[in-house]
Amino acid sequence: MRRWPLGSRFGCFAIVKSRWRLFATVVAGLALGGAILTGLVVPQQTNREESGARLRESPGAGALFGWLGGFRALAADLLWLRMYAGWERRDLPGTQTLIRAVVAVDPRPAYFWINGARILAYDQPVWRIEAEGGFEAVPTERRRVIEVEQARLALRLLEEARGLRASTAAMWTEQANIELNKLGDIAAAAASFRRAWEQPAGPYYAARIYGELLRRLDRHREAYEWLCSLYPKLPPDDEAADAPLVLARIRELERMLAVPPAAAFRSGR
Amino acid sequence: MTTVPFSLTRVGLIAAVTLREAVRQKLVAGLALIACGFVLGVRALRDFNFGAPELKFIADFGDGVIAGFGAVLTIVLLAQLFFGELESRTALTLLAKPVWRSEFLLGKFCGVVAVVVVFCVLLTATLSVVLWQRESALRVEGFATLPAGVGFDPGALWVAAWLHIVRLTVLAAGMMLVACIAQTQLYAIIVGFSGFVVCHLQHVAQGVYSRAGSSAMAWVATLIGWMFPDFHLFTLEAGGAWTFEGVARLTVYGAGYAALALGLAVWVFRHREI
Amino acid sequence: MTGGTKPAVELRALTKDFVVGLKDLRLRAVDQLSLRVECGEVFGLLGPNGSGKSTTIKLVLGLLRPSAGESEIFGVSSSRVEARAQVGYLPESPNFQRFLSGRELVSFYGRICGLAGVRLKSRVEQVLGWAGLTEAADRRVGTYSKGMLQRVGLAQALVHDPQLVILDEPTAGVDPLGAAAMADLIRQLKARGKTVVITSHLLAQVEDVCDRVAILDRGRLLLCAEVASLGNRAVASSPESLDENDRAELARWLSARGKSPGAVVAAQSRLDRIFIDEVRKNRSDSGSGSA
Repeated sequence: MRRWPLGSRFGCFAIVKSRWRLFATVVAGLALGGAILTGLVVPQQTNREESGARLRESPGAGALFGWLGGFRALAADLLWLRMYAGWERRDLPGTQTLIRAVVAVDPRPAYFWINGARILAYDQPVWRIEAEGGFEAVPTERRRVIEVEQARLALRLLEEARGLRASTAAMWTEQANIELNKLGDIAAAAASFRRAWEQPAGPYYAARIYGELLRRLDRHREAYEWLCSLYPKLPPDDEAADAPLVLARIRELERMLAVPPAAAFRSGR
Repeated sequence: MTTVPFSLTRVGLIAAVTLREAVRQKLVAGLALIACGFVLGVRALRDFNFGAPELKFIADFGDGVIAGFGAVLTIVLLAQLFFGELESRTALTLLAKPVWRSEFLLGKFCGVVAVVVVFCVLLTATLSVVLWQRESALRVEGFATLPAGVGFDPGALWVAAWLHIVRLTVLAAGMMLVACIAQTQLYAIIVGFSGFVVCHLQHVAQGVYSRAGSSAMAWVATLIGWMFPDFHLFTLEAGGAWTFEGVARLTVYGAGYAALALGLAVWVFRHREI
Repeated sequence: MTGGTKPAVELRALTKDFVVGLKDLRLRAVDQLSLRVECGEVFGLLGPNGSGKSTTIKLVLGLLRPSAGESEIFGVSSSRVEARAQVGYLPESPNFQRFLSGRELVSFYGRICGLAGVRLKSRVEQVLGWAGLTEAADRRVGTYSKGMLQRVGLAQALVHDPQLVILDEPTAGVDPLGAAAMADLIRQLKARGKTVVITSHLLAQVEDVCDRVAILDRGRLLLCAEVASLGNRAVASSPESLDENDRAELARWLSARGKSPGAVVAAQSRLDRIFIDEVRKNRSDSGSGSA
């Protein structure tokens, strides 16, 4: 073997330099090409900050695993299965924690938000009441407090969903049902049903119920005008649209409002 | 002097031999069988009685299997084929022919991508059958109308398969670059898996670093964001919401990164001593 | 491109250094090597293990980049792909894709070199016949013996009818019959106007077929000469070189001492003897001159 002195053409600096030159070229090439590709082709991610925040909130290593790209849907499903097992055991804190973990790992599916809200609003009040002695033993006021607490938890969850993903008619409908059935807040429920109807593919019954709730709020004129504008949009042969029921409501409101026959709504069918 | 231009025919020949060699490897058959087993085994979810959402779980599980096993297959197979060729010196005989080094690399790359395509198609077909069977059973059980975005959408399934193929092609190209630089197979596999994790997690890191407030960290994050493709982008929205434009953009994005990595791999390999 | 005044292989001050670790150590495997291989000759590149023969071959084939100097094949720089279009190469202890049959393997390399269709098919059968592998052609290469691997390696090297054939240790690990068959094949190639370069350290096998040899040691060229001129060194001192009267007197002298006339055999200066002498001389010079 021959030794070459340091600093000569064949010294160690030349060897190290050539290796580093190779790495530098590769890094520069990837960075430059990647910058062009990312800027030209991919729309900016708008919720990266929120994603980072949610990661910090999520419990456990499952969240980290869940963020691994396409695996997060799978991780969320697996966490949901774990939550389901806890639901069967009526594990209240565990279920709540895992619901939050699931939506943190994968906020995209509406299914998790809706069913999570349902569990919080409908199932967990029953668990709490039964844990405190049952429906016979727990006073009505205490039951009411529990139901309102749980309903607000559920509504907060649905509100969070709107910050992380696009709203759907099903999510607004769920919110409306909770506001109506658990909080007894007819005005809020009416507004939520209207929002549900306004979503893409909003269900006909949401619009119908909005009209009904306006009636309950004694806003009869508003309800009449709403249902008259709704009726022409309802397909006559669609059972879910229930056009005959809407027409019957219109006629009831005409009697209530003493609308003269000449000015009565013409169905045109 | 007779010129020897770059030839896609030679690339295809090398790819064909690479594909034949790959399918004979126990690794490929083993991974494909285990992955199929997982996909078929997910039918056990019916015990949970979810009803219609069970289809979402089955699809997600199958998707995760394709992504996970596909990544393992891509990284390990490419490293094995590349270093196996160098260590057994079959590369010597081939490169002593009038073959461009880039033809050799591209041939190897195309052979591995062919295996990946077959793998993704096979598993997606298996998943399709499982979903179709389960959906039929659910309809019989009374779920006559499945909620929107929960039923079996074959279009979304095959679009997801296409995105898997694009992502794994990018991974293969990156792995080829790593293999050209690395001196040993083990080192290449470790670096390959590390790069895979970076590609998957970098959208999280971007979000965290952008809130860090340190310009140095933000610059580092930006550099990493440019160097590594964001694999998070290649996942379909839940419920199968996809657009042709979106898929086309992602395909161009993936093809761009693959071409970039392969171009650098060819440059590095030109300087590598066989 | 081939023939004419351009040599088959020309090396000019070819040098190759390998990096050893990260310290300031480099191994000089080929040191200022200059030689020419003319068209149509059989050229032996000889040397002990580690002398730089295989490295030289890789530099000629463009598989390695020289640290200094130049290498050309038929006037084309070795770094160009075109230079290898007329080269057939059999590596030392060849390895091939085990899952291919012999026919598929040779056909694959033939297609790589641009053969196709009927020409490819006929050429494949022809070279398999030369290599004695026609019957085993449909068996997988993974089932071949060492000798068969060598022969299928030869077949893939010749399938595209190259003008220059480079054989790296073609008889290593091969039995005497195989070695003799290899020598016959080399003579046939020469008869057809091909240029053959052989590297070997088994000199006895090589000296019968080579026209010229070069001896390397530690990357340096020690000797480059025609084989015939090397063998003549010893001829002058053999009994056969004496005239009739001197031979008769020698026979009488031996008989008077009870020895048979055939007892005297000239110690022929065979190639291996020359080789050993040159290498030892080089090493003792290096040893005495080293710092």
